[in-house]
Amino acid sequence: MFGCVDSCVLAGLDVRRVRVEADISRGSQVEFSLVGLASTTVKEARARVRSAVRNSGLEFPTTRLTVNLAPAELRKEGTALDLPIAIAIVLARAKRPAPARSAFLGELALDGSVRHVDGVLVAARGLRELGYETIFVPADDAIEATLAGDLEVIPCESLIAVVKHLLESEPIPVAAPHSGGGASECPIDHDLVEVHGQEEAKRALEVAAAGGHHLLLSGPPGAGKTMLARCLPGILPPLELGEALDVAQVRSLLGELPRDRPLDWARPFRAPHHGVSTAGLIGGGSRLAVPGEISRANHGVLFLDELAEFQTPVLQALRQPIESGWITITRSGGSVTYPARFTLVAATNPCPCGWSGDSVRACRCTPGAVDTYHRRLSGPLLDRIDIQVSVRRVPLDTLASEPRGESSAAVRDRVVAARERQLARQGCLNAQLKPPRLRHLAALGPASRRTLERWSAQRGMSARAFHRAWRVARTAADLDGAEGIDEHHVLEALGFRLQDVAA
Amino acid sequence: MSQPNLPELRVRGRWPPPEGPRAAIVGSRRPSPYGEAVAEQLALDLARAGVVVVSGLALGVDAAAHRGALNAGGVTVAVMGTGVDVIYPSAHSVLAEAIVSGGGALVSQFADGTAPRRHNFPARNYTMAALADVVVVVEAGEGSGALITAEAALDLHKEVMAVPGSVFSPLSVGTHGLIRDGAGLVQNARDVLAALHVGGEVLDDPLATPASIGITLRAERDGILSHLSDVLALNAAEIARKLQLPIAEVLGRLTALELDGAVKRQQGGFVRALRRGKDRA
Repeated sequence: MFGCVDSCVLAGLDVRRVRVEADISRGSQVEFSLVGLASTTVKEARARVRSAVRNSGLEFPTTRLTVNLAPAELRKEGTALDLPIAIAIVLARAKRPAPARSAFLGELALDGSVRHVDGVLVAARGLRELGYETIFVPADDAIEATLAGDLEVIPCESLIAVVKHLLESEPIPVAAPHSGGGASECPIDHDLVEVHGQEEAKRALEVAAAGGHHLLLSGPPGAGKTMLARCLPGILPPLELGEALDVAQVRSLLGELPRDRPLDWARPFRAPHHGVSTAGLIGGGSRLAVPGEISRANHGVLFLDELAEFQTPVLQALRQPIESGWITITRSGGSVTYPARFTLVAATNPCPCGWSGDSVRACRCTPGAVDTYHRRLSGPLLDRIDIQVSVRRVPLDTLASEPRGESSAAVRDRVVAARERQLARQGCLNAQLKPPRLRHLAALGPASRRTLERWSAQRGMSARAFHRAWRVARTAADLDGAEGIDEHHVLEALGFRLQDVAA
Repeated sequence: MSQPNLPELRVRGRWPPPEGPRAAIVGSRRPSPYGEAVAEQLALDLARAGVVVVSGLALGVDAAAHRGALNAGGVTVAVMGTGVDVIYPSAHSVLAEAIVSGGGALVSQFADGTAPRRHNFPARNYTMAALADVVVVVEAGEGSGALITAEAALDLHKEVMAVPGSVFSPLSVGTHGLIRDGAGLVQNARDVLAALHVGGEVLDDPLATPASIGITLRAERDGILSHLSDVLALNAAEIARKLQLPIAEVLGRLTALELDGAVKRQQGGFVRALRRGKDRA
């Protein structure tokens, strides 16, 4: 007696089809063997499946039972194969074929109910692309699965319900497609209107948002660096459907997707502590890497407070994803690639004690310590941060008299308009323009070029810094709605850099 | 006390310096923007009046003093606590070269190759006081090395003067203590020149708003410049508010002024006009 159903396992965001075959053969020997490179969690499925089948009031084969997971050379992890194994056994006993172009996912409890598994959204999108039309998923994860679209999602409460659906024409109603809500449901958590003063930093934030530029905020403790950084998601346009799905996929893999409202339109904001490990930041793990903070921040903001306190190797590991927008991590189980297109906002004190340059308090650091601190900051990572701005501490007594800012919504309108100009012109944001395209798409007028070259010669600018200022100037022009880059755009761009850090 | 017996000096550059009064400008290695600006301005004005500016090549006030004198095209002498061939801090090697090529000198009482040693610096401070006719202290916290120089100057019967600072600043403790004990009050270079019995050459009040900075600027940018002083730093947001201009425009204009060398950006995002001695003279 033979039964066979389809399922899948995940390798990062890649979906690999797995065919689960069950064979029940005659013989007095009672044996349940599971073959096909199953890991420990999958091997344990034998115990769960046996109990779940029995406790669902179904008969479990009492003769020799072999379950094969094909392709046999692919290592299988996770508990999502419980349900397909049980269904394959039941179908083998019933001598019935599985429904065409359908796949099963789910963990079984001993009483036969079907439990949540991570990564259902990823699996659903992958299976749809592989040509499947129906998927059976845990009822908890049904809404998540419907996000993949164009797929009949069968929510499974229990094993017996699925068996009745398949064998006894007691169909389970198909899960209703998730409306997904809309971008209008995206509240602004931190509004710029609450930030008094700080016009310079606010402008920097706007330019960073408009052009997708990375941003460094430097200032004494209590200057409001964290508050400013938290305002960035609110002035970025809400996620588009594709982006929201990308964000949800990573959360789905990590099992962090809320059951009732899987699609979130707000831009992610991740702020890992400076003690974070390389694996925690960029992703890692023992066999197959799981996504790190940079992938959770995909399409959103990665905020690194106290940049100089991060371990140097951790910061070095950021360099490649910052350039490319994705990260490939190889572990013993193979390599996986995760998206990591984020806006980096880094914050730092001007010196170890934080008070260098403050108008009232004196800095207590030794000159050597300040020097060491700056040396930790400078270098290849800083070279990739387009906009650098000092944040002034606003004394408490004058805080109230500082003007309030514009609302985030008003700033966002300008940002959205500037982003639309860029996308229409070049299909990507200015920060992602490579030098050849930059020359082609963002030509400098004679006056602008002269100013940029004069500065470059005066300060001994690197080629990278030169292009960096150029890109920011293009964004300033886009915010202005200007076709060409005027001299004052270049000048503004040149203003966004710190005094002590080599341009 | 008798005339000090100067230790034997090793020299790089022109020695002895040209005839004329010598003023030592000393102070904190970590001055506030105010202290740095005062030191540079004082040195600039003194050098223009023909005074040789003596200092210690250290970070902070020392470097600002040497720089100010060099900007005025003046002669400045660095009294070092290391061998003359050991520039400490190493970041000042360019400054040291400029001192030598500007007709000044690097001098040291220590053998060539002497590395920086904590206990060598008080002796150096004594030598500095011995070489100068007047010692001006700009910002010195409690226990600052600049106070050792001041004490040495008193022992040697040299005039000690001090620049006042904010009463809130720990960097004013030393200087205000000196003033209370009878040190001369320095508000501008004229005060120092009077102590040196040098006729007060035409000097600008360093606290006045610069009328002209000696370089021609495009008219539209002068508006910002008139709001800046060379001592008190202002930030772009404050200027934008005063002028009722958008911050983006002010940032751009300030950068243009920086490009022209008319303003300087400091830690904390502050800017101030910097008078350049060579241009102004």
